Amino acid sequence: MNKFEIPKNFDYKNVNILKQFITETGKIIPARVTGISASNQRKLTRNIKIARFLALIPYTDMHK
Amino acid sequence: MKKYEAVIILNPNLSTKVDLFKKDFEGLLKQNSFSINKTEDIGRRQLSYSINNHNKGHYIIFSIEGNPVNLINIENKIKYDDSIIRHLFISVKNHQGEDSQLMIDSKNKKDDPEAEPTVIKDNEKDVLSNNEKNVTEVANSDNESTGELKQKSEENHENE
Repeated sequence: MNKFEIPKNFDYKNVNILKQFITETGKIIPARVTGISASNQRKLTRNIKIARFLALIPYTDMHK
Repeated sequence: MKKYEAVIILNPNLSTKVDLFKKDFEGLLKQNSFSINKTEDIGRRQLSYSINNHNKGHYIIFSIEGNPVNLINIENKIKYDDSIIRHLFISVKNHQGEDSQLMIDSKNKKDDPEAEPTVIKDNEKDVLSNNEKNVTEVANSDNESTGELKQKSEENHENE
């Protein structure tokens, strides 16, 4: 049922896994859609935001 | 004592001086009584968005351990270093023993080195050829427009 691959630990360095959880425009997909647990969603969010800061993931698709 | 991961993105134009920077940074860490568990030199990587007009960055990840008070000294020195585009210190519970996914990805890329440079060359060629085409097109259109003007002026004369 769940099409998302959930790792044991979310890591900002594992870009391929984080990319599953962002939309084409770069937004974080909400937990009601991903269906992962609340604590996992918090960890995911934290790591996505770190990866964005380090330019591993885009903030939006509007970057020049 | 606290465990940290220091991610540092270096200016890609200074890629040859990476070893020098590493020595400097390790010296700085030792001055502030930090111990280094592991360093991962990930290498040049495409940035998702441009930082200070740079599209690529040289990533280095240090796994370090030390006193949080001294971390401020290190950060103050790094702030004014021009060769660093961006840096981040993250506190972690445990250091990972294995290579990070970024390191594995960069190793896989190095295995087939022909992939990247050829692509860049092709792009450059395309751009060049496009420019030439544009120039020739502009020249042609100029001729045509002047020709049309001449024709029109002739027509006007005839009408008069």
